[in-house]
Amino acid sequence: MRLFEHTNFDFVGNRHKAYILSAVLMIASLISLVVRGVEVGIDFQGGMSFVIETDQPIPVGDVRSELADQIGIESEVKTYGQDAILIRTAAEGDITEVQEQILQTIQTAFPDSNPTVAGTDIVGPRFAEDLERGAVYSVIGSLLVIFVYILIRFEWRFGFASVAALFHDVLITLGLFSMFYGIMPFSLQIDQTIIAAFLTLIGYGINDTVVIFDRIREYMNMLKTEPFPIMVNRAINSTLSRTIVTGGTTLLSVIVLFIFGGEVLRGFAFALAVGIVVGTYSSVFVAPPILIELREREAKRAVTSRR
Amino acid sequence: MGAIASDTESAPRYGHHRFLLCFPTFPGRLSSEPWEVHRLVTLIIMKGQGFKIFLIAFFVVLSGWYLYPTVRSYFINQRLNSLEGEARVEYERENFQTIQKVNQEAIKLGLDLQGGMQVSLELRVDALIRELATDPDQTFEEVLAAAHEEARLGNQSIVDAFVAEFERRDPNVRLSRYFRNEARGITRRSSNSDVQAYLRAEADEAVNRAIEIIRQRVDRFGVTEPSIQKQGTRRVVVELPGVDDAERVRRLLRGTARLEFHLMADPGELQRSLQRIVEHYQTAEADTTARGAAAQDLATADTSAAAPGDTAFNVGDIVSGGVEQQASTGNPLLDVLQPVGQGVQFGFVAERDTAAANQLLSAPEVQAMLPTGVTLMYTSSPVATMEDGTELYALLGVRKEVELTGDVITDARVEFSQTNQPEVSMTMNAEGASDWARITGANVNRPIAIVLDNLVYSYPTVINRIPNGRSSITGLESQQEAQDVVTILKSGALPAPMEIVEEQIVGPSLGQAAVRAGVICLIVGFFTVALLMVLYYRTAGLVANLALFTTIFLIFGVLAAFNATLTLPGIAGIVLTMGMAVDANVLIYERVREELATGKSMKAAIDAGYSKAFSAIFDGNITTFFVGVILYSFGVGPIQGFAVTLMAGILVSMFCALVLSRLVFDYMVAERRMAVNFG
Repeated sequence: MRLFEHTNFDFVGNRHKAYILSAVLMIASLISLVVRGVEVGIDFQGGMSFVIETDQPIPVGDVRSELADQIGIESEVKTYGQDAILIRTAAEGDITEVQEQILQTIQTAFPDSNPTVAGTDIVGPRFAEDLERGAVYSVIGSLLVIFVYILIRFEWRFGFASVAALFHDVLITLGLFSMFYGIMPFSLQIDQTIIAAFLTLIGYGINDTVVIFDRIREYMNMLKTEPFPIMVNRAINSTLSRTIVTGGTTLLSVIVLFIFGGEVLRGFAFALAVGIVVGTYSSVFVAPPILIELREREAKRAVTSRR
Repeated sequence: MGAIASDTESAPRYGHHRFLLCFPTFPGRLSSEPWEVHRLVTLIIMKGQGFKIFLIAFFVVLSGWYLYPTVRSYFINQRLNSLEGEARVEYERENFQTIQKVNQEAIKLGLDLQGGMQVSLELRVDALIRELATDPDQTFEEVLAAAHEEARLGNQSIVDAFVAEFERRDPNVRLSRYFRNEARGITRRSSNSDVQAYLRAEADEAVNRAIEIIRQRVDRFGVTEPSIQKQGTRRVVVELPGVDDAERVRRLLRGTARLEFHLMADPGELQRSLQRIVEHYQTAEADTTARGAAAQDLATADTSAAAPGDTAFNVGDIVSGGVEQQASTGNPLLDVLQPVGQGVQFGFVAERDTAAANQLLSAPEVQAMLPTGVTLMYTSSPVATMEDGTELYALLGVRKEVELTGDVITDARVEFSQTNQPEVSMTMNAEGASDWARITGANVNRPIAIVLDNLVYSYPTVINRIPNGRSSITGLESQQEAQDVVTILKSGALPAPMEIVEEQIVGPSLGQAAVRAGVICLIVGFFTVALLMVLYYRTAGLVANLALFTTIFLIFGVLAAFNATLTLPGIAGIVLTMGMAVDANVLIYERVREELATGKSMKAAIDAGYSKAFSAIFDGNITTFFVGVILYSFGVGPIQGFAVTLMAGILVSMFCALVLSRLVFDYMVAERRMAVNFG
């Protein structure tokens, strides 16, 4: 089977349309991040979460209001697989006591539910701060390391373009997390697993970009006479099949994770799926055009200075 | 790459007509006809492919070697689960060593898959500093509190914050004044930086000692394969597979095991204090309400207990409010404490009200009303039960001075009293015994409190002087608790309290669900990707799938070899790797297609495809690998598991695409003279 062979799409010529799309998405993400923010999990905030299994499904909304009314605990309650609910709360205090109170409240409100605790997760505020710091460092560290590596293997414009594209990917994916939390039927809380997903999509995005950059590098040595934008367009077209196939297999495996991976991996798989789509888009429509703009600016400056 | 693929010239060139290679014929011929194998071997040796073959065989065999215990462990556990009762015990006994060895060498499942409890503990360095200091004064306490706060907010260690804060307050301060310790080289003339280094060393040592002590306690707890690891400089992560008795574990890990013997307050003085404190809250309540709502008279103020006013009062109200059923007395203290006024008992407090009572009683003006040198401590177990089942704990007046500490205890064991109550009987060394004899001798007919980690376990009244250094802890709830107390006492006291900063419990049902999800993901993921590859690249897709399968096998081998723990995110990493692992092959195949399109021979196209795709594969994968390294160094637990599989996946998939699939193509093209269908 051959798709996208000998294509000759004018990616570079249409790059301004992509700029508009990217700009709109990024601004929307920024606005949403400022206005709505993201839902931060207990990993980075501190708090407790309980997975409670019941004999029969119980309405999560009622559990929430019962907990608030009866024991004064503000919580977030979600269904968790079948016949189980997840209760998250920022409440502090003795774990055993809080757990006991929650169980009693549910038992009283839903006498037939027979709630049992299947799992708990408690993160102290100081621990959460450390995790948060680690997450921020690792995202920044990854971008830095990638920039330096590309700098060494290519040149600074490539490094800048690829990191800018990665930043674009992370911002938009984060923006989607901000826009859709509470709307999607699964948790979009930012926790450690989501940070791992972000780093992975940084890794994936750079891989995708490097393949195209590698081809540009090759054409730069081979076709010295051709104008740079045309060269770039050629490079994108000749790697297009690979871009789509690898994106496809990776997206498929992520979808498998999303469907079969259970509640724990759902947000993770969602982040990756979004990230792969955005990352593939940006390695075609964002990173190479930035490279072109940088080159052209340089060329103009060279012309003016020669005068 | 070019150097290895050197046989371009000898290969016959194929035209544009490629014939399709069918998968079943290829392995069939390879394995059934000996002369073919012979020719293959000759080819390898002749064409310098031996090293590649050797490398692949070596890694596959090595992985198999490392994975063997995992497979065996799986079957042994299957066998164990199928057996019941005595047969099972019998089988376990007979194969004890094998089971142990195999389980130890098998790939470990993370707690999220296996179920169990994970606790992260942090050493309270502030408590350690206080412990090390001699005669800490008011300034010392203030500085320590400030340093604690600063360390909590910032990135600074508490020792550094402590010294910095001290020097900020008084540039000429000599810290050696507090920390003189000739044995450790801290004299009166030691500089502040010496003291700082000394404190840092002490803190490091304290963490290591704490790990040892925790290990002893956990070992006695009887968990199979616990894991105790230091994380960072001040934290210890304890993983206990299959444990879900959370409260017991917490008590066992957190207990500093500080055993102390205290004298108790004079009953008369204590009662007078109690009266004064109760009266204090009576007026304090009236005052605030009156201030808050001047128009209201005292009578209404007394009944409107929920009115916001005094902060202390509010705290009490919030904590007890939801569950408190009894009518408010109008006195915040009496809402949470039933005064007793008998002997050394100060009052009774329900368990849920302890926080509120502590809040009220810790106010400085209230502390000042207590008899000098006396503090209040709770009993370890409830002393009474109310009609509605609420358990009441007694607050006792205990003298602050420590008469004797647990250091003198040489042995402890569980015994039963005449009434068949469990108790811990302790033996003291000679020095302790003589002190004990003196203390008991001087306090006949008075109670002595036996305090463990700030809880009074018992306060027997001394009847006679005890000459032989015998003492015992009573008031224990169960034999299990007695056993845990013995464990804590025997493993020694923690150098400083440990605080639980993170805790995770995964019940067995959640673990099983996660394992099931992981296995389904692996299988479905593999077949989805494999199918796509065959559809798109035909024969070459099959080769890529062989590489993919080998990749997964080798990833598991790497995990086993490095004793890594498999977690659910780790499995997700493998599934994701499947999607990305084919990338190297995709890059090569796309190149080969391009080269074929320019009219090159199959052989030449493959050569060119491999060598030209290499730089892209290498650069792309290395950057992703770096991300994996960063993820590993900043992540904890399950995330590290993900990072490990990601890194292993990148290295292994590169190897498989560049070496294994290359070898297969070389064999097919150069030796079998086939044209491979690249779809």
